Amino acid sequence: MIRFEMISKTWADGSKALSDVSLNIPKGQFCVILGPSGAGKSSLLRTVNGLVLPSRGQVFMDSVEINESVRQQMRKRVAMVHQHFNLSPRLSVATNVLAGALPEVTLLRALTGWFSPQDRQRACELVQRVGLLPEHLQRRAGDLSGGQQQRVGIARAFMLNPEVVLADEPVASLDPKISADILSLIRETAREHGTTVLCSLHQVELAREFADRIVGMREGRVVFDGSPEEFTHEQARVLYHGYNKEEPAKPRFSEPEISGLRYA
Amino acid sequence: MTNQQLEKLAVPLPRQWTLPSPYNAKHLLWVIAILALLLLTGKRTEMDKMVAMTSQAVSHLLGFESDSQVVRGFKRVANGMWPPVVSTQEEVSRISQFDRTDLPFGSEIVQQEITTQRMNLETLQMEKVVSSEEFLVRPFGYVWDVFIKMVETLEIALWGTLIAVALSLPLAYFATANYSPNRYVYTFSRGLISLFRSTPELIVALFLVLAYGFGPIAGVLALGLHAAGFLGKFYAEDIENADTKPQEAFEAIGSGKLKTLWYGVMPQVFPQYIAYTAYILDRNLRMATVIGLVGAGGIGQELKGRFDLFQYGHVMTILIAIFLFVFALDQLSARIRAKLI
Repeated sequence: MIRFEMISKTWADGSKALSDVSLNIPKGQFCVILGPSGAGKSSLLRTVNGLVLPSRGQVFMDSVEINESVRQQMRKRVAMVHQHFNLSPRLSVATNVLAGALPEVTLLRALTGWFSPQDRQRACELVQRVGLLPEHLQRRAGDLSGGQQQRVGIARAFMLNPEVVLADEPVASLDPKISADILSLIRETAREHGTTVLCSLHQVELAREFADRIVGMREGRVVFDGSPEEFTHEQARVLYHGYNKEEPAKPRFSEPEISGLRYA
Repeated sequence: MTNQQLEKLAVPLPRQWTLPSPYNAKHLLWVIAILALLLLTGKRTEMDKMVAMTSQAVSHLLGFESDSQVVRGFKRVANGMWPPVVSTQEEVSRISQFDRTDLPFGSEIVQQEITTQRMNLETLQMEKVVSSEEFLVRPFGYVWDVFIKMVETLEIALWGTLIAVALSLPLAYFATANYSPNRYVYTFSRGLISLFRSTPELIVALFLVLAYGFGPIAGVLALGLHAAGFLGKFYAEDIENADTKPQEAFEAIGSGKLKTLWYGVMPQVFPQYIAYTAYILDRNLRMATVIGLVGAGGIGQELKGRFDLFQYGHVMTILIAIFLFVFALDQLSARIRAKLI
């Protein structure tokens, strides 16, 4: 479904986000990308919908290379769930969900907010599917709790029946219980639609619980690729600390010896 | 612990650990320069004279000074302005097509004796002649006239605001760094906005009166153009400063610029837009009372006419009306805002 071929991304200031990443994500897979902050997880996800264009290498979706000429078309097939939900807080839940269909809605309908009956029907079904109530439809999205907002975000993502959902740390700002609910919601909804999910996470436990496959990234490289069972405690240590307990590697740069203070 | 022990514990600070004094000689120089500038400009704008005249007026009011030019001036105006004129009185003989059986509501015809001085051609002496003249008196006629003129002024302000909004919305879109199609369009729109904003309404109205003639068209256009500059700038800056998170969400699914703007930015900036537009309406109402001075319609034309005829009582009525209208609009817009936000 999605094929990354040796992609690298170097930012304008010379820092490297991705180095020679190659992955093949089959259709319908729930693939979790783990790794410390700054490992390039977000950049990797964003190459799929062209928000980030790789400096080298290619990304293919259904064997079509994603570049500037096709990305606007491709984006309609790729939905996104964001860490900070990225809803329009002053708009109602219903309008936020309907806005997920914006790429396919005519300009006149979009500007007047007069969505077609089918779209409205679909929005209602999705709001119900993500576990919200009819009275939530007219509430302002910004008035909901974090977990509820992410539910709205998921409903919005499935508005256009996407083939791929990119979930960029979808539970990073939620508590553990709600995080598990949200992830299982994404997984179940994706299964119903046969949607491929690329999901970046911070929590190793959640990754083990929900992923079909775990990809570990560190400093822009893939350092682990396997099933949740293969992702052992030692693997996690290597991923987050860069060395194994048995053979401690030298830290890459010296840190000041002040307790409680570290480079973030 | 004794003091000695404490002193032992204190480590001498390394060189880089100093907090410099917040002021130095440079700041003193700045203060002197600013004071010198204030003195110079104060002299040029006769601020010294203002202080002298005002203190003279105060001491006159307290009984220390025998005379004050300022107090005299205020008194003359105040005497003329009070009481405000409420009624109108017109000579019946001067009203064209006067219908005695169909008088305006609440009005009456009053006989008045008018004494005039006239030269007697036989004796060549001035003598008083008493004649009787019929007057049509409308007890609240002037208040009504002013009200009608104020409504006209309000209409000018309203249309000025509508034109300003209609002009500035597209202008603001092209004048944002993140939505403008290219640098040239951006620079052109920014330039146009600056041009509109930098030309005062009164000056624009002067030229527009030459082009469109006396009346409200010039007023509406003058207000609209100037306010479009103001609104364009503020609308555009709000779009640029809007939270990017919702915009990213719509961009990510390929919604296109206009739809992204409409759903990702507009809801955020809407309350501020209402506030700006309400301010412009308020400002336009006040400006609409002024641009009448150059013949661009509204209450200003009436005001200038009465002022030139030294009819300060009428002027007072007009000023009260302007205050009441501005106050009422303020209350109304506050309520509308509270509802919309």
